[in-house]
Amino acid sequence: MSVYQGRVVIGVIGDDIHIVGNRIMQLALEESGFQVFNLRARNRPEEFCQAALEVNADAVFVSSLNGEGEYWCADVRGLFRKAGLEHVLLYVGGNIVVGKRSKDEVVRLFKQFGFDRVYHQEPDISVAIADLQEDLKHGAAQRAVKAHQH
Amino acid sequence: MARPSAQSRLTSIERYRGQVLSHPLGRGISPDEVRDHLAQVPRQRFPRVAYANRGPSPCIQPRGGVPLFETQYELTRQLSEAGADFIPLTIDSYTRHNQYDTATQLLHRSEEEGKSYLNGYPLISHGFELTRQLYCGLEKPVSLRHGTPDARLLAEVAMASGIAEIEGGAICYCLPYSEGFPLDRCLLYWQYVDRVCAVNSTEDLPIHRESFGPLTATLVPPAVVVAIEIIEALLAAEQGVTSFAVSFGQTGSIIQDIATATVLRELTRYYLDKFGFGSVQSYLVYHQWMGQFPAERERAAALIACSAIISSIIAADKIVVKTVDEALGVPRPEINAEACDTVRYVLRTFRSAETVTSPMIERETALIRSEATSILEAIFDISGSAFWESVFRAFQLGYLDVPFSPHVDNANKLLSVRDANGSIRIADAAAVPISDQDARIERDLLESREDRADKTYRQMLADIRLMV
Repeated sequence: MSVYQGRVVIGVIGDDIHIVGNRIMQLALEESGFQVFNLRARNRPEEFCQAALEVNADAVFVSSLNGEGEYWCADVRGLFRKAGLEHVLLYVGGNIVVGKRSKDEVVRLFKQFGFDRVYHQEPDISVAIADLQEDLKHGAAQRAVKAHQH
Repeated sequence: MARPSAQSRLTSIERYRGQVLSHPLGRGISPDEVRDHLAQVPRQRFPRVAYANRGPSPCIQPRGGVPLFETQYELTRQLSEAGADFIPLTIDSYTRHNQYDTATQLLHRSEEEGKSYLNGYPLISHGFELTRQLYCGLEKPVSLRHGTPDARLLAEVAMASGIAEIEGGAICYCLPYSEGFPLDRCLLYWQYVDRVCAVNSTEDLPIHRESFGPLTATLVPPAVVVAIEIIEALLAAEQGVTSFAVSFGQTGSIIQDIATATVLRELTRYYLDKFGFGSVQSYLVYHQWMGQFPAERERAAALIACSAIISSIIAADKIVVKTVDEALGVPRPEINAEACDTVRYVLRTFRSAETVTSPMIERETALIRSEATSILEAIFDISGSAFWESVFRAFQLGYLDVPFSPHVDNANKLLSVRDANGSIRIADAAAVPISDQDARIERDLLESREDRADKTYRQMLADIRLMV
């Protein structure tokens, strides 16, 4: 096990019960040194926000496999802002929209929602973990600074 | 210490049934009339008769459920003509979660627009009177396939419709299908289902119960499957069920499939007899690969054919089949019929004359037998006033741990990966009570694999996607 990297809340959003990826993600993050709080399946945006607040998370990974992501994710960043969690990194991944749409279009949409990183139909989670390590190099507070600059 | 016992049988079931059947969608069901109806459906509609007459090959059962009555009627006829020995009735997921109003609304919408808004047949919305007509003249068993933690009303409507096989169980229909349905209540609700099955049975023509052994179908070690299947057989026997099928899903290793079948068959018999349920007849059902399927139809067809051969080698009583379109979603009726035909062809062509064995198979059999026995004996020793309570506590203690279950009551601590021959190995048993010696054998067998990935999660991902 590598050195402690930070605290991450993960979970599947909506009524989605696809759990295999969620479990693999937990293992992958733990193996990379993160402390993981796993909300597992069927979560509302409020539950991610509540958990991030309770555990003082550095980042939140929202997953969706059945495509409900688009409906549920529009409000997540707003909720975090209201809770004073502007600094928390928000990542989203899986199969996050229904139907065939270009990756660029999907990434643009979710960036507009306020997500820092978007992984649509990316099979390898190690990319996201490398990004997270990079984004957290100087701590989660970096995000708030960047957000102000924009 | 709470051992399985016939003394745990639900008393005053008649009054309890009165409560369940007072549901607006259950009205009109009279326990006496249901028994009369079951007494006059063709004998061949009962699994015991079908299994007794099956000949040298396993019976074939496809999957299938659609919202509209007419379409389900067509599907039933098509599957029967294609050589299915058991006819499936797969239930939609709203009904599975007891959301009958939503299921009814979406049924009406499906009828109006001629499109499917449900992923199965909403049995409770259709009701038993209409559903009886689905099976007029049918001389094969119908199997209720669902995934319902609280199946009390559903099972009542199914039996009232003349369906004599009810799949499911408190563990196998809760742990893989629900993230939060209370497991203790689920155990009690399935006592009801089992008891009503027993009440609706006669000595010659029992209502048949079947457990769903594939569970999450994701790297579940055979010993865990064997333990859970036997627990569900014992829970059903406690309530008076006399015809029960244990099952498991193709593991991905032929060695492990043969070993699992041997142990499952042997230990189910052993424990039923041990606790005084010698009159219960048990059967073995094999599920074709339940994990991610290859998207290429040729490969899917090859996989289906291979698992058909394995079902013959292990002398399964029934094989539940997949289709070449598995990777794409719910298959069309023709594709489903085609799968029955493929499996029928393979089973007719390659009959297994006698049990296949080898030193490797024998070693695997001994290991699974030893592990499953350790787990079961530890559960029998857990305190509680009834066996179901010990089972409930077994999950709280992590004695039973189903990999990749979304359920909050599941420990999720056991780690499993594949070894050199593709067999599922326990890399970390966590709280699952297997002996130190067996844990060491598991680890040693794991060492045999040379192409192991650098990270556990990568290895697991590769192992899950074995057939893709």
